[in-house]
Amino acid sequence: MNTTSIDFQAFLDWDNSPFILFSAQGKILYLNNSAEILFGYVSKKELYDLALAYAPQNFGYKTTTLTLNYDSFTFYAVTVGYENEEQISIRFYNAPRTKSATPIERDKLVKTDINLLLEANIALFKTKNTNALQLLTDPDLPSFKLDQNRFSKLLRKTLDAFRSSDSIRITLKLLVGEHVIISGKKKPIVQLTVEANGRYSDTDEEIRSLATQSHITVLLKERTIKLEIPLIQ
Amino acid sequence: MEQFFTNSEQVQNIIKGFNLTKTLFVSSIIIGEPNIGKKSLARYLFPEAPLVSGANQEEVEALLQEVNELIITDFEKLSNQESLDLDNKRVIATANYVGNKQIIDNLFAFIYTLPSLKERPDDTAYIRDLFLKEALSNLMLQDLDFPIKEIPINLRNNSKSLKKSIYQYLMNHSMDKKNIQEAIYHYILKHLEGNNGYKEYLGLYEKPLIEAGLKKFGSQLQLSQVLGINRNTLRKKIHEHDIN
Repeated sequence: MNTTSIDFQAFLDWDNSPFILFSAQGKILYLNNSAEILFGYVSKKELYDLALAYAPQNFGYKTTTLTLNYDSFTFYAVTVGYENEEQISIRFYNAPRTKSATPIERDKLVKTDINLLLEANIALFKTKNTNALQLLTDPDLPSFKLDQNRFSKLLRKTLDAFRSSDSIRITLKLLVGEHVIISGKKKPIVQLTVEANGRYSDTDEEIRSLATQSHITVLLKERTIKLEIPLIQ
Repeated sequence: MEQFFTNSEQVQNIIKGFNLTKTLFVSSIIIGEPNIGKKSLARYLFPEAPLVSGANQEEVEALLQEVNELIITDFEKLSNQESLDLDNKRVIATANYVGNKQIIDNLFAFIYTLPSLKERPDDTAYIRDLFLKEALSNLMLQDLDFPIKEIPINLRNNSKSLKKSIYQYLMNHSMDKKNIQEAIYHYILKHLEGNNGYKEYLGLYEKPLIEAGLKKFGSQLQLSQVLGINRNTLRKKIHEHDIN
């Protein structure tokens, strides 16, 4: 089969797994769309060093199984390869996202201005705590469908994890260029980030369970909780 | 329409939270000591919503089927809490205490704690003035002839004991001779027995007489002249009634 006349770049461009081609000096020669998003969370140098660390000893390709986490990205393996001294490529394998077993209960979803729920939860938080709190939100976010009661519980528990934290920052924004597939349809993602100097993790399991029931991806870190909410309209 | 006054930042935040979620279908609960205005607050925020007591379990169940906006008072009295479905309804519950924390946590999106009156001095002063006005009108009294601050504020049972202490104070200050005689009559009718009644109940008259006299005239000497009794007799009586 003669494949020399076929241009494979578009296939690579749209591959869901990040692919990057570096020069010998660590400059980016090529990156696909998925890698572009990945660079929002990790530096060029870190990935280049990773490529060098897992490169095969001789010309060729080597796949290594390892778990890598960059924000919401989770990879289970990388393939690093080079055919000459000038270029080295690295490809990351997306770990499958755990799919929620619960189907979306559409009758429970009501079109909601998420900012209202967020503001109300901040008011509730302020009845119990005096910590300084900063909110950065996108008032132009469209209303979208939510299970209001369940989502409020999730918000309450998320904020409660920061009950004795200092300088709490809450950010709500639309993640540009990222999507989540729900019931076979691509949905934009709204990301809610709460971060501070530290937090409690006693209710992490409850937060995880409430999020999963609502098809929300949750990232629980030492000082941050991120909720990735599908924007269902 | 129900009015609700507050200067407390905590309560203002509760009101803010409710106002923001007024149009949403979320369930909220207000928890706090008895008689601190939980029901008034719920009524003030949702004047049109049907209201049912948790003591009436069957009615609660029926209403939850029928309506999507409901105030449930005395939520702690409901014995079937965990079987309730509050999803996609605007339920505002009030409770004097949290029975089972886990159940409350699972049922309600917003769990507010309303501070007691002791923690809301500004609100207490406002409620006191309100009660005072109401009491003056109910007891058909004219304006006060003593400073408001003299009224003792009893917050042991929050607004209930506060109201009681105001009425009691006003009654005590507005009695005439006939009222006092009548009060003593009923008291004695209820308690008189034994074989030393005269001496025992003489204190009802003597003690306030000497206390008020001392306050008004300052010295025992002067008071004995006003009362027209011997100084030694007065001193003996002061000792007898344990008056400082």
